[in-house]
Amino acid sequence: MSPCWVARCSTRPRGAIASATLGDDGSDGMLAAWQADDEPQPGAVKIDPRCIDADGDAAWASLVLAPRGTWLLFDDVAVSHAIRSVLAGPPVDVVSTFVTGDDRFVGAITAVHDDEPTRLRDDPFAAIFPTCLVRVGPGLLGRTPTPVGPMTQRYGAANPWPWDRFPEARA
Amino acid sequence: MNADLVPGRHLPDFRLPDHVGNQRSLSDLAGGDPMLLHFYRGWWCPKEQAYFRKLLQLQDEAEVAYTRFVSVSVDTAEESAAFRAGLGARWTFLSDHERRCVHELGLLETTDRSHNPFVPTVLVLEPDLRIHAAFNGYWFWGRPTNEELRQAFRTITRSIRSDWEVPAR
Repeated sequence: MSPCWVARCSTRPRGAIASATLGDDGSDGMLAAWQADDEPQPGAVKIDPRCIDADGDAAWASLVLAPRGTWLLFDDVAVSHAIRSVLAGPPVDVVSTFVTGDDRFVGAITAVHDDEPTRLRDDPFAAIFPTCLVRVGPGLLGRTPTPVGPMTQRYGAANPWPWDRFPEARA
Repeated sequence: MNADLVPGRHLPDFRLPDHVGNQRSLSDLAGGDPMLLHFYRGWWCPKEQAYFRKLLQLQDEAEVAYTRFVSVSVDTAEESAAFRAGLGARWTFLSDHERRCVHELGLLETTDRSHNPFVPTVLVLEPDLRIHAAFNGYWFWGRPTNEELRQAFRTITRSIRSDWEVPAR
């Protein structure tokens, strides 16, 4: 299966499998998703494909994004600690790290299909890179199964966390 | 203990709510990894508290070893979530508060008429829910040591990872 990507855009781009407005009145542009082997457009990042649902409801999201040109190795201690905090912490509806290349952590998305962003107050990934709380319109975010735990590793070097199995896993 | 819960047999793919309240199936929880399936009496039992402290030590290894832990009791989802948070456990807890699974698996501890809990049981499962090892923890020393669990995980991992021997260039 091709990787899943997301990127902020001003309008829904061609080839996107899902997209949603950002901001209360859509004034913050859009977030769009693709399924593609290669980066579909500059600035796109890889996301756990289970987060994406073209029929998904509106959500509040804590969007953590590395400043342009900045990244951490995915195995950096700070990233591991944040993942442990996610596993130990209260439940959310959507969670995925963002990855570029094979091993670059460039942010994360944590989201809840709630009317208020109360459950996003303590996003562990917000300790790593700047975050913004944003209203995501319908049409993009589904629900990620709560990670089983205690695994903090990725299933394959180029994949985000918490994708949950190797492609050739024995059934 | 249920005579069907022995190495070589397959566990039924049951579904239970997790500590968040979502219905989870055992096969989904296993994914493609070895899994520790741990049935425990409940948050209130001192033996369980002692054994969880052992599993917490193993958690720091399992988190990098493509291995999954799931703990099951008759506690409610809320009790399970609180117990999990208090322990600092970073794995999934399932709630069989309706006691459907405990009867289906034949694991009801009949000597405790107050809590009607699971007989403490630890199963080490292969990804297809085949039982690799089974431990009867009714008496505390019947539970597996962390070293016994490591050996079991090693054996399963060696059998399921085609690249266990480092691939040649």
